[in-house]
Amino acid sequence: MRKDGRPFRRLLVANRGEIAVRIIRACRELGIESVATYSDADADALHVRVADGAERIGPAAAAESYLSIDAVLAAAARSGAEAVHPGYGFLSENAAFAAAVEEAGLVFVGPPPATLASLGDKLAARRSVAAAGVPIVPGLQVPLVADGSGSLAEVDLTGIAFPALLKAAAGGGGRGMRRVEDRGELEAALPGAGREAMAAFGDGTLYLEQLIAPARHVEVQLLGDRHGNLAVLGERECSVQRRHQKLVEESPSPAVTPQLRVELAEGARRVARTVDFHSAATVEFLVDAAGGHYFLEMNTRLQVEHGVTELVTGLDLVAWQIRVAAGERLPEAVMACEPRGHAIEVRVYAEDPHQGFAPVSGRVTAWRMPEGPGIRVDAGVVADTTLPTEYDPLLAKLMVHAEDRPAAVARLCRALDETIVGGLQTDLSFLHWLVDDARFTSGAYDTGLIAEAWGDGQPLTDEDRCVAAVAALAGRGDGSGGSPAAPPGGGATESAWQRAARREAVGRRQPR
Amino acid sequence: MTDYELSVDGSRVEPDDAWSVTWLDREAGLARLDNGSRTELCLVEGSGTDWIVTLRGRRIPVVVRSWRERVLADAESAARRHDGPIEVRATLPGLVVAIVVREGDEVAAGATLLTIEAMKMQNEVRAPQAGRVAAVAVTAGQAVAAGTSLLRLE
Repeated sequence: MRKDGRPFRRLLVANRGEIAVRIIRACRELGIESVATYSDADADALHVRVADGAERIGPAAAAESYLSIDAVLAAAARSGAEAVHPGYGFLSENAAFAAAVEEAGLVFVGPPPATLASLGDKLAARRSVAAAGVPIVPGLQVPLVADGSGSLAEVDLTGIAFPALLKAAAGGGGRGMRRVEDRGELEAALPGAGREAMAAFGDGTLYLEQLIAPARHVEVQLLGDRHGNLAVLGERECSVQRRHQKLVEESPSPAVTPQLRVELAEGARRVARTVDFHSAATVEFLVDAAGGHYFLEMNTRLQVEHGVTELVTGLDLVAWQIRVAAGERLPEAVMACEPRGHAIEVRVYAEDPHQGFAPVSGRVTAWRMPEGPGIRVDAGVVADTTLPTEYDPLLAKLMVHAEDRPAAVARLCRALDETIVGGLQTDLSFLHWLVDDARFTSGAYDTGLIAEAWGDGQPLTDEDRCVAAVAALAGRGDGSGGSPAAPPGGGATESAWQRAARREAVGRRQPR
Repeated sequence: MTDYELSVDGSRVEPDDAWSVTWLDREAGLARLDNGSRTELCLVEGSGTDWIVTLRGRRIPVVVRSWRERVLADAESAARRHDGPIEVRATLPGLVVAIVVREGDEVAAGATLLTIEAMKMQNEVRAPQAGRVAAVAVTAGQAVAAGTSLLRLE
């Protein structure tokens, strides 16, 4: 730490979107100057506007900008930053990047490069975690195909029970992941999965795990310093997923008993001890119907859903990442932190949940986020933002905190009712359905929820059609100015309800 | 009776007088609808005959047409039906990574035609209706903009 009490004087934010804005906010509170990085597609983006400074790092393609170690390092050097925060995704778990940052004499806000290297290989991590006595998901301990070429010739699949899950060894975020029912499907899935893994991680290596279903996805938040202190900050339930990617997270998990909570915390500690760890990390587990748990992976970075833990613990995980990177010790208040209440996060994505959650492009025309007690919104866009198609379509994370789960669900319903996004389809229609669904409100859901209960979505009800029709008619009738041509035989040019709507609208504009 | 004909998602709807509309922000298209028992916040976007109402997060296309506009539109769509071929266009900009069909292939409605990588995901482009692939306009590895014609179905 510096003499003036600030961890650093200036920090480069090597990311974009909502997480860049989140890091910039932490910098501001810590008295650190923030420098944003941006590609040509993001020159006008929110994270660039809110930072103290900004450095261009290349063209729109992520491989030539946010994923380019050389470009980000050059920006760091130009900016005069002392530290680099990688956020999540992009270069956040890239050992070569962390090493290059340190070689340049800067501080990498994250664990040591060697730790990233050992955990980045999911297969190697599975072996060392099993050796530490933590249960892992049964499956292959060796790569299925090393280059994603699609050849299965020499692989021994005896002992693998189908259905199974094909995964990227360098992976995360569901990229390259496929459910396969038998050997034939496995062979058919290899090229696409390998290509996706190669595109996302620059490494097409795949492996196979047994599919555990029904299962819940539960992860434990860790925070460690450079002096050997490790805080376990409770768990997050992340079972609402599409394409093996999370959409909704909550803490505490409705499925975790006090006994299981102790076991997960101990498992997470053991996993962390297999590596030289400091900063923020998450240890992910699958929990099966009988309450058995299996290590999935350890992510040594900030998670998208870190805000859920921040709400129940009251801690600022990003600020602690930065302070720990500067050498600060975690104080007793962090080490002994007891979570309070219940928090839920929903992710607002530019995706159409009625079209298999396919990403959509376009311009955000209207943007109205909820406000009031117990609400937090981390957004990466504002109204009038044209979404770049090169990156993840996450628009914002909407979080609620309340004293218990029923109150948090009620608050989430209220928050969604206040939320309006215009210009493009978002997953908000799915989220509205979710908060009314009995499986979600009861807490008795697993990772199959979306596939089994939502499927391709819900049909429009007659009442929804009627509301939409009335609203559109008001939009046209009340504002277009011109009067419509009447059909032969005449007829009133304004319907009774149009008059009523106009009266109502006029009435509301008058002060009461 | 209103002078406008309303269709939601392609089917005709009669508006219900029970719903009242209050504009919260006319400029932005933000309205509150109330029928005495249910209240909904809606975003109303569009102009002329074509409107999108966002209700509980769902974008619902609504066509609001006068009698005259309906007659003109019906005549136009009748004329278009005789043309036959349909262009399959990219809905997102991206990279064509695989083309599954070849010219001359007969495809069923919903069959995968090609795969476009966009937003880091592999998106399958499917046939909007059954037909024969008359021409493929793109090649694997080609970057396409939104709206680019990908292939023609007859």
